Amino acid sequence: MRELLLDILDASAPGDACDWLRRRLGEHAAHFRRRPFYYDFSGVSRHFPKHAPVAATLEQLAALGEECPGFTVEGWDVFRLARVVLLEALGRQEKDTFLGTVAALLNTADLREQAAIYSAFPILPYSDDLVEAAVDGLRSNIVDVFDSIALGNPFPAAHFAAPAWNQMVLKALFINRPLHRIVGLDRRRNAALSEAVSYLAHERWSAGRTLPPEAWRNCIGFVDETIAADLGHLVDHGGPVDRQAAALVVASLPAEDAAPLRALLGPELAAAESGELTWDGLGRSLALDPGLNGSPVKP
Amino acid sequence: MKFLDSHVHMVSRTTDDYQRMASAGVAAIIEPSFWQGQPRTEPGTFKDYFNTLVGFERFRASQFGIKHYCTIGLNPKEANNEKLAEAVMELLPLYICKEGVVGIGEIGFDDQTRAEEKYLRLQAQLALEADLPIQIHTPHRDKRLGTIRTMDVLEDVGIDPAKVIIDHNNEETVKEVLDRGYWAAFTIYPHTKLGNERMVEILREYGAERIIVDSAADWGISDALAVPKTAALMKEQGITLERIEQVTYQNPLAAYGQSGQISEEDWSDTAGVDPAALFEGNTILRGGMDVATAMSQYRIE
Ligand SMILES: [Zn+2]
Repeated sequence: MRELLLDILDASAPGDACDWLRRRLGEHAAHFRRRPFYYDFSGVSRHFPKHAPVAATLEQLAALGEECPGFTVEGWDVFRLARVVLLEALGRQEKDTFLGTVAALLNTADLREQAAIYSAFPILPYSDDLVEAAVDGLRSNIVDVFDSIALGNPFPAAHFAAPAWNQMVLKALFINRPLHRIVGLDRRRNAALSEAVSYLAHERWSAGRTLPPEAWRNCIGFVDETIAADLGHLVDHGGPVDRQAAALVVASLPAEDAAPLRALLGPELAAAESGELTWDGLGRSLALDPGLNGSPVKP
Repeated sequence: MKFLDSHVHMVSRTTDDYQRMASAGVAAIIEPSFWQGQPRTEPGTFKDYFNTLVGFERFRASQFGIKHYCTIGLNPKEANNEKLAEAVMELLPLYICKEGVVGIGEIGFDDQTRAEEKYLRLQAQLALEADLPIQIHTPHRDKRLGTIRTMDVLEDVGIDPAKVIIDHNNEETVKEVLDRGYWAAFTIYPHTKLGNERMVEILREYGAERIIVDSAADWGISDALAVPKTAALMKEQGITLERIEQVTYQNPLAAYGQSGQISEEDWSDTAGVDPAALFEGNTILRGGMDVATAMSQYRIE
């Protein structure tokens, strides 16, 4: 993993910065001390360009996913990548040193450092001891920090208990984050979350407000009478993307169970069944045009 | 004209100040760590204070289009609580290399006690270790001797005077500070001490080289607009624009720029204020107010 990350960094940042990082990795491996590590972790900002996006090839992204399913550096800048490389090295220290240092860093981190720490969680050891920190990080309303845990990060799906998972997904809905970028969203669906989505929809509709259409993705496999009625409401009163979301849920149902809903959904259902319409595609279209991200108000 | 106020305690100031500073042309500010009017009793409150300096205050400033930097350190007043001081010294390494931390400060003497000297020394060594500039607070009582003693200690540790900004100078201290190779900063206090008229005289006598003007505005009676106001007065009194720009912008930029953590591109590249940005769910710009229309009389074009 480290060599792969360093290769990507080499392609994204100046050579002298990468050389500095390699030298420091060697030093920490030879004799680790906390203070120099703190200096280096923060001091990434002294060696790397301030606003440089990470450039990874498709092959490199695929290789990352092979070593750690769901893990990606997409959307990162070089500060984050360099800090994640340092944390990966920290992960080779003994448990107490590792956990103590991570806690100290998190406690005093600036925003970009926090995002880097959470982004590294999937490739760090002692995952069980990091869960509480990740759950706590999600309580932050700093969007970049929330995103570093919730989006493009396989750690929550792999390690969160259902209540923490559901809180994360619901909060993503509340602050309008793109659900399709949550790793493991389909795998972690559960009845309680589906029920919470429906409840939230009713609450919003009563208040004359809307719900992001991606929310209904969590209800697949848990369509009961209430959800079926919600889908009917979406079809009757929703916008085009709400109808698409309803179609994607309906397409997952046995045809004989969903006859009334199927009758209401023409082209959207056909697109969902042919694979032309997908949840990820729907999510991406919303990200491109956030104006679409609303479902019907109460009729 | 753009200004860099290299000493201002924004945690104590209101958004009105931010608005007026932005309108008057303050592009960037440096907030030194200092005491907060009453002694802290726990190291944890220092940690949260430092977190504020690299976190929320930075965000708050950005909402007005102002770039915020800070210096991190244990101030001399609180250095006298040794148990607390020890714990704060343990915290400092976690902060001093962070993005936007442009020095160790403000440190120095207050009562000129033995404990104050101890932590001045230790923090000077830390600055040496992290290769950072030092921002020095000079004592209000017995200032001349306190200033000399500060320089003696720094030189004893092996600090290069060119990396030290000595603040709160007056007519009695400036000559020796400049002669020994330090940057000499002047705090413009309203009503007391150094007013902006005396500053003009000092500039006439010593020129602009290594001289810096700041506001040191804090929780007491002070003026967050001291730098642009002094610049306006200087212009009125016939000081050249080049010289004014040197002491209110170029010099602090050069002095703290030695940290590698502050450069002009930081604010010339910015896309401006993002009124939709949130920090901890807060937005500062309630109701999308227009900063640009207010308070532009101190701007020098
Ligand atoms: Zn001060």
